[in-house]
Amino acid sequence: MGPLLSACGSDSDTGESADGTVTITMWHGQADEAKATIDKIVTAFQAKYPKIKVDASSGGVLADSMLQKITTALSSGHYPDIAYIFGPDIANVARSPKVANLQPYVTKPEVKWDDFYPAAREAVTVDGKVRGFPALVDNLCVAYNKKVFREAGVPEPTGDWTWDDFVALAKRLTDPAKGRFGTGWPAVGDEDCVWRIYPMIWDLGGSIVDDSGKKIGFDNDSGLKALQIIHQLGADKSVYADTKPGSETMYQIFNSGKMAMVATGPWELPAFVDAKTEYGVVPLPSFSGKRMTIAGPDTWTVFDNGSAKIKAAVQFLQFLTDAEQDVQWATQAGSLPLRKSTAESAEWKQHVSSTVGLDVFSDALQYAKTRPTVRAYPRISQPLGQAIVKMLLNKDTPETALQEVARAANAALVTG
Amino acid sequence: MRVAVVPPPTVASPQPRIKRRRGHGEAGAAWAYVSPAALIILGLGILPMAWSLVLSMQSSDLITPPQWIGLKNYEVISQDPSFRAAVVHTLVYTALFVPLAIAAGLGLALLLNREIRFIGFYRTLVFVPFVVSATAQGVLFSFIFDSHFGLANAILHRLHIPTQGFFADEHQALYLLVLIALWSGVGFCVVVYLAGLQDISKDLIEAAAIDGAGRVATFRHIIWPALRPVTVFLVVWETLQALQVFDMVFVTTRGGPLESTTVVVFFVWQQAFEVFNAGYAAAAAYVLAFGLLVLSIGIRFAQRRDDKEVSRS
Repeated sequence: MGPLLSACGSDSDTGESADGTVTITMWHGQADEAKATIDKIVTAFQAKYPKIKVDASSGGVLADSMLQKITTALSSGHYPDIAYIFGPDIANVARSPKVANLQPYVTKPEVKWDDFYPAAREAVTVDGKVRGFPALVDNLCVAYNKKVFREAGVPEPTGDWTWDDFVALAKRLTDPAKGRFGTGWPAVGDEDCVWRIYPMIWDLGGSIVDDSGKKIGFDNDSGLKALQIIHQLGADKSVYADTKPGSETMYQIFNSGKMAMVATGPWELPAFVDAKTEYGVVPLPSFSGKRMTIAGPDTWTVFDNGSAKIKAAVQFLQFLTDAEQDVQWATQAGSLPLRKSTAESAEWKQHVSSTVGLDVFSDALQYAKTRPTVRAYPRISQPLGQAIVKMLLNKDTPETALQEVARAANAALVTG
Repeated sequence: MRVAVVPPPTVASPQPRIKRRRGHGEAGAAWAYVSPAALIILGLGILPMAWSLVLSMQSSDLITPPQWIGLKNYEVISQDPSFRAAVVHTLVYTALFVPLAIAAGLGLALLLNREIRFIGFYRTLVFVPFVVSATAQGVLFSFIFDSHFGLANAILHRLHIPTQGFFADEHQALYLLVLIALWSGVGFCVVVYLAGLQDISKDLIEAAAIDGAGRVATFRHIIWPALRPVTVFLVVWETLQALQVFDMVFVTTRGGPLESTTVVVFFVWQQAFEVFNAGYAAAAAYVLAFGLLVLSIGIRFAQRRDDKEVSRS
């Protein structure tokens, strides 16, 4: 209750108290290392700007449940100034009139907005308006278990490969007698299941929503071919379909040497190192030969509790994402740089060279694409997730599964 | 004789006075006593219920200002195949869980209602799973029933029985949930039945034995009728619990695979917090609430008629 009270009590319309100090509340939804890093940065900010008091807490939930938390907070009228919102959710949260429009702030030169990676900038922009700051970027590449390849006598992937190569390799490395899988895929039907298909769709010329905004953009060969690839993995029984929420079993299986390859983000690398897995990282396969992956950026969404608070929040986020702090956040919290200048810093380069595979993820930021920030997105993701699960469990044909996605998602897009 | 002299009015007259004083002073005190509870019930029970009734007649996402749409949500829901599927899953789950939990509970209670060594230990063992939270159970069992690396399939494999899909098979997941719920739910039935069994007078059972009644006859004519109120309570309680199952589904399957375990409360959660249809979710919740209400009233009536028949005979 503490942060809520301080967020809504005492202040005038602008959110500034009589002595000129502004208190801003932040729900970061982080734990462990990431929380410690934020706390450290907050302390440093506090020392530099004593007029702004930052009340940073997890918000009582982890980032996974922040959407539910913020939805109820918004409907009750007591909400923080900054919250950690997942990229796919910001479009829906931004429908609230209580979400601040940061457009006038980010054009200022000291913010160095263009220094953020394009994927990160797009992720916080809804209908042309900036609604927050980038909080984290990651992307998908393929991690492979070197020991599994060695034991199977199969040469390691070089990154110069197609999805058909991937399917064939997964099949070759599958060994039911040893309980070994070629690859794994989350099969709950949630976002972690769904976002892994988009690089294929984009590479084949498809899109999530077409230009009219009223139809999905993969109800064509791109969606069909992508589903066929997953269907083939399911039919070959070369994929471990993780039906448990959280996808943790999938990574455990990879670490225990029972899975050859898995598409994953940089967040998983510390766990690989801890488990002493001999791993390598290569970019995602493609169809066309050009590089493609998906960035899953998260956001520091800013809420409107008066202009003074918005201004203070922007000042804090500018500090938090500034190269000097960004490099701490990226190295200690296990993510990637948000800014190009961070990526070029000596400290980051040193960190990259000490973590196997991180360079591949870091390079992938150059070509990673993001999901569109559209409101109907959850109602596209849900039927698509079900279609992917059907492929993984080998329950349906790609054709009928795609038809069903198109029917459900198009209906959602038309009604908005 | 002296006793008769004592004038009755002295006894009778203070009574109305006391009564009056009581009626005056106690009402205030009584309200003071019940007001905290009344406020809590009003604030945490009645108000949210009223609010969600209003919400169920709105098109609301909890983010933008809501729109009044009357009974439209209820109209849509009556034709929504996903909601119908959720209702079917919930009914199947309840229809399996309640009778099985009660039968197993009764069986175990009969076994545990005897004086042997370590009986307290056995009783505790049966009850322990009930204390484990549904979330912890869910996590535990999702590992045991993993289709490839779980303990359950390892055992089946040892016994040369073909391995199963379990939570990865849409035809098995719901039944598996019933099984897990039984693991913990039976303990509660056992405890309630044990209490019921210990209330049965030993004299009755001895009398039956003297009359030459065997075990089956004693159970049929003495024990089972005596446990009737307990059984009715368990049926009502377990049914209400089963119809509202959520936490275990949330932890183990998230309604999957292929929406084979979406129960009504999970459907409500999904609509409200995943696709931002809070009004629609509230309507679904009210359909469930209405079902529960009808069910409770129906059972009340059946019980009352039953009681009358018993007293008449």
